[in-house]
Amino acid sequence: MSTTESKSLYGILAEFKNPKALVDASEKVVEAGYDKFDTYTPYPIHGIDKAMKLPKSKLGYIVFGHALLGFSGAIAMMYWMSVIDYPLNISGKPFFNAPAWVPITFELTVLLSAFGAVFGMFFLNGLPRLNNPLFEVERFKKATDDGFFVCIEAKDSKFQEDLVRQLFEEAGATHIEEVYEQ
Amino acid sequence: MSHKPTITDSLQFPADSKIPRILLIVGAVGLLATAIGFATDLEQSLYSYLVSFVFFTGIGLASVFMVMFHHITKSKWGVVVRRIPEVFGGNLKWWTLAFLPILGGMTVLYHHWTDPTLFDPNSPNFDYIVAGKEAYLNVPFFIIRQIIYFAIWGYIGHKLYKASIELEKTGDWGITSLMRKISAPAIPLFGLSVAFASFDWLMSLDPHWFSTMFGVYFFAISFQSFWAIMILMVFFLQSRGLLKNTIGQAHIYDLGAWLFAFTVFYAYIAFSQFLLIYYANLPEETLWYYHRLEGSWKFIAYGLLIFRFVLPFLVLLNREQKHRPNVLKFVAVVVVVMHYLEIYWIAMPLLSEHGIHFTWIDLTSFIGLGGIFFWLFFKKFQENSMIPENDPKLDACLEKTYHQ
Repeated sequence: MSTTESKSLYGILAEFKNPKALVDASEKVVEAGYDKFDTYTPYPIHGIDKAMKLPKSKLGYIVFGHALLGFSGAIAMMYWMSVIDYPLNISGKPFFNAPAWVPITFELTVLLSAFGAVFGMFFLNGLPRLNNPLFEVERFKKATDDGFFVCIEAKDSKFQEDLVRQLFEEAGATHIEEVYEQ
Repeated sequence: MSHKPTITDSLQFPADSKIPRILLIVGAVGLLATAIGFATDLEQSLYSYLVSFVFFTGIGLASVFMVMFHHITKSKWGVVVRRIPEVFGGNLKWWTLAFLPILGGMTVLYHHWTDPTLFDPNSPNFDYIVAGKEAYLNVPFFIIRQIIYFAIWGYIGHKLYKASIELEKTGDWGITSLMRKISAPAIPLFGLSVAFASFDWLMSLDPHWFSTMFGVYFFAISFQSFWAIMILMVFFLQSRGLLKNTIGQAHIYDLGAWLFAFTVFYAYIAFSQFLLIYYANLPEETLWYYHRLEGSWKFIAYGLLIFRFVLPFLVLLNREQKHRPNVLKFVAVVVVVMHYLEIYWIAMPLLSEHGIHFTWIDLTSFIGLGGIFFWLFFKKFQENSMIPENDPKLDACLEKTYHQ
């Protein structure tokens, strides 16, 4: 097939027998110095984040930023409404009625934190993404059933096809194949 | 894959430790000094004593709650620290004696509803509102209720402690189901008795005022400070070189997470109680907060907001902070101090309406009761292992590791 020549390489995908083999393989991949790689499993595997040496997620800071925005936004909104734009005397309480504002401030803080958490998670995961070259690999369907995969991407600065293959073989991969961009 | 974790620490609290003796002396001196206070200024002494009594009793009651929740959910996270609250709970039966001065002085302490002329329509003192509450607020029923509370607490606390010791001695895992069977019906019993006890001890000081959520408010303040006490206890033991390898980072992190969670719970409950009363603005409810937001009392009120919620919340928000010993110790001490001040702020404005007025009796009754409370603790703590050995979930708890 001459058409494969024109397709650019996306990465090399390796399948492993079980979660333990996958965790060990991830450790080897990290040791060899690759950083543009990911693992794919049917269910969450305890300790895989540690084996992959994933840094602590930055999501918390995104959520905190949104929380501050919700907090100050709520105060600003209510201040504008009930102190500046349309002050109403409600049972003789001050216009800047801090205790009564707490529930709305709380709600908006939580609402924006939740948005920050969900959309921040999408953003950090590179979503939404409509397609991924891995979906073209017939074998990769097992990742939702009983397959444990590692894929080192060609973008990686250390990527060299033969060395990657050799690494996977040494790590005990049951199946190795190239994945091409469509 | 799995291997049985081994315990390298000695699990026995040193029998020759001087701590219990020191605590006993401190407690006895404190109580003797308080006795002098009782002889000179009875009303002030009763109030001071009540505040300290509620402080320590609340920690004992929260301990039993924690043990029951732990059993009923078949938890494994806290097995290594469970013996501490078990001992606090097991001592509640002796702690009943600490209530006697309050019972003896109740006509002074609770004179706003124990004075018989309040209920007499022909008397100039007749109080229409208090007279309407006579069915609940009368001396015999008050005494009966106290007997019921302390019977429930003493019995359940003792039972759970004894069962845990028996499990340790015999290694019979069937006892875990006995613990669950005790805990399940005891949780609602505890919930109700603790709520009503808080109505009796603190809310009835001002019998015109009522808050239907005062019971859960009392639970919230006690449970939050309980976690702070737990953190301080663990660090105290470790500073003496005890359980250093048994109670690990993961367990300390869990205690920090509990403190954080119940800081939020406390703020939610305390604020809910305040907001509804503030917004409805009914004179008989609002006055209670009015007195507590005037004069120097307002410093405690705002202090509670800042030091009991905002500061612990912001400091413990980042998960890294929840296992740093110095950060946890700092937050725990702040929470414990604020807990004392909060009870003080609930009770004392009835005595000194226009501002904070600390006396030496506040200090001596706190030191006296605290000394006795912790003397009882360490005495019992010495008798058996410091962690529930042979517990079926102990291994799983020891295996817990902290990770990013």
